[in-house]
Amino acid sequence: MLSTLQPPRSLSLLPLRRFQCSKHIVSAASSSSTAPVTSPPQSQILTTRRSLLSGETTAVEIAKSYLSRIRLTEPQLKCFLHVSENVLKDAQEVDQRIAKGEELGPLAGVLIGVKDNICTEGMPSTAASRILEHYRPPFDATAIKKIKELGGIVVGKTNMDEFGMGSTTEASAFQVTANPWDLTRVPGGSSGGSAAAVAARQCMVSLGSDTGGSVRQPASFCGVVGLKPTYGRVSRFGLMAYASSLDVIGCFGSTVADAGMLLHAISGYDRFDSTSSKQDVPEFQSQFLSVDHFESKPLKGVKVGIIRETLEDGVDSGVRSATQEAASHLEALGCMLTEVSLPSFSLGLPAYYVIASSESSSNLSRYDGVRYGNQVMAEELNKLYECSRGEGFGEEVKMRILMGTYALSAGYYDAYYKRAQQVRTLIQKDFKAALEQNDILISPAAPSAAYKIGEKKDDPLAMYAGDIMTVNVNLAGLPAVVLPCGLVEGGPSGLPVGLQMIGAAFDEEKLLKVGHIFEQTLKGSSFIPPLLANVA
Amino acid sequence: MATRALLAVISATPNRCFISSSRIKIQSSVSSFSSLNFQRHNRKIHRIARSYSSDKDSSVLPPPDVSRLAETARISLTPAEIEECETKIRRVIDWFGQLQQVDVNSVEPAIRADMDGGNLREDSPETFENRDSIRASIPSFEEAYLKVPKILNKE
Repeated sequence: MLSTLQPPRSLSLLPLRRFQCSKHIVSAASSSSTAPVTSPPQSQILTTRRSLLSGETTAVEIAKSYLSRIRLTEPQLKCFLHVSENVLKDAQEVDQRIAKGEELGPLAGVLIGVKDNICTEGMPSTAASRILEHYRPPFDATAIKKIKELGGIVVGKTNMDEFGMGSTTEASAFQVTANPWDLTRVPGGSSGGSAAAVAARQCMVSLGSDTGGSVRQPASFCGVVGLKPTYGRVSRFGLMAYASSLDVIGCFGSTVADAGMLLHAISGYDRFDSTSSKQDVPEFQSQFLSVDHFESKPLKGVKVGIIRETLEDGVDSGVRSATQEAASHLEALGCMLTEVSLPSFSLGLPAYYVIASSESSSNLSRYDGVRYGNQVMAEELNKLYECSRGEGFGEEVKMRILMGTYALSAGYYDAYYKRAQQVRTLIQKDFKAALEQNDILISPAAPSAAYKIGEKKDDPLAMYAGDIMTVNVNLAGLPAVVLPCGLVEGGPSGLPVGLQMIGAAFDEEKLLKVGHIFEQTLKGSSFIPPLLANVA
Repeated sequence: MATRALLAVISATPNRCFISSSRIKIQSSVSSFSSLNFQRHNRKIHRIARSYSSDKDSSVLPPPDVSRLAETARISLTPAEIEECETKIRRVIDWFGQLQQVDVNSVEPAIRADMDGGNLREDSPETFENRDSIRASIPSFEEAYLKVPKILNKE
């Protein structure tokens, strides 16, 4: 549907059935008379809903246009490992509900990409690993169950680094995804497929997972919004575990509102996940006011801390200027900016990799070729395990399992895993102190924009270093959103960079409010990749 | 805008070394890298290059034995894979060594990030309906049994 790609002419949001609306949300008919110079991006979820309810289009027509775009762009992008055979059937069901005048869920007709480490019943779920090459789960992850209950349509399973271990999708056993902004560059990872699919408008929103930045870094590289919730906000049931104390399911969208609405849909306590939180899930919807109704300083009084350690040497100058410009934009909106220091910041990276490797070595022991996945038959049981795992796992996965095995070995546990957990406490304390003085903290999402495919493949430490901006947030369990804030040189039309905003635990509401206002008032780029100019 | 490897190594203080990396020699290498410079109290972060050597005075913990680790983790590796893994793993484990320099005296380990904890449900079994789908995933299945080869007792 072309209209979702163009900058919108009208900016207002419609009141929706089943939602409690703020009195400031108005209907399209009464939108303001003067259109702004650059139109801010419009929510695809709300646009879809409006078009379906008004009869302007049908869910099947929308689905067909997205499937057609997938067919056209997939040979170049390779975002999907599997495209669902049921997309049109699911869309037809939505149209039938509309025809009968039945109530529509908030995600009715919304096309959603799902990272391949999230279980989808009957659909291949491989975590981009050969060891699960033909695996079809017998159940839906809780997040998927919720999406389906609300009318969402799963378009397909997106490419990723194997078991979430990587920052580029180059560690996928099957294919490397290309960045829609420059096909010679990586989309980021490990949720690279999900980020690129949203950027290329192959789907409207998508799910990813974030253990050390795997939603936020690809969001920055692909110029889309990536939202990492507080640990425990979203059930991990059905998410193939990588590091259980760090993993969360996160959301991608082309707008903050879309990412926020998707998050709302999948959030909430789940009895199948003992780490899921019983905290109330607020109605995030109320934060997504139309820009027409912003006051002159809509973020007046909001205290923003820039993390000093994220703007020092080693960060590309283009990223640094984009972040500083973003900070100025926040100031213009009324925020009070100060510099904060997190003294433990640099320790996050080694602490993260010790913890993640250790936990992954335990979590991946279930892939033994016996109950599911690829089996390499042998004469003896241990040999069966060794050969199935040796042939089924990729290089990076094997390395991390071995590192984790080392760190957890008897006699080494105190030196590594326990010590990393202690460092984690220090990091949590630093964040807590900074967030007592500030409403949100900001930093770049990554030290650079997207780099070339193959550039860091052989150097693990160089690859790990790119996670410096994101890992601490996982160690602290805090929510964060990355949204595009500027372009730097590179590629045919520049490369996007994202601003990361970090909030206090369970304070996604504030993050979404600030993020939405920032996005809707940002002048300049529309963050639509040049690839789409050639696609109908 | 070329991206650069970012590596931070904290120089060791002589005492409180659990793993000794008390003197870290920095070699300048062919390609130049910039680093993130952090200052934490009185410690300095040195600029390092792609390859560096570590001078271990007294190694309390021996370096990783990849073959042994692979056996423990039940992963078979070819000799070439062992060699390649060994180099990479050693570099990463050396890099982990900087955590030894942190003063964690009387700091409680943070087991996880979640705030609530302990949301356990009743331990009462429920029937899962889709047993056929579970069975379909099992590589070697002979009614009611998952078939596996014999287990040899190791010395």
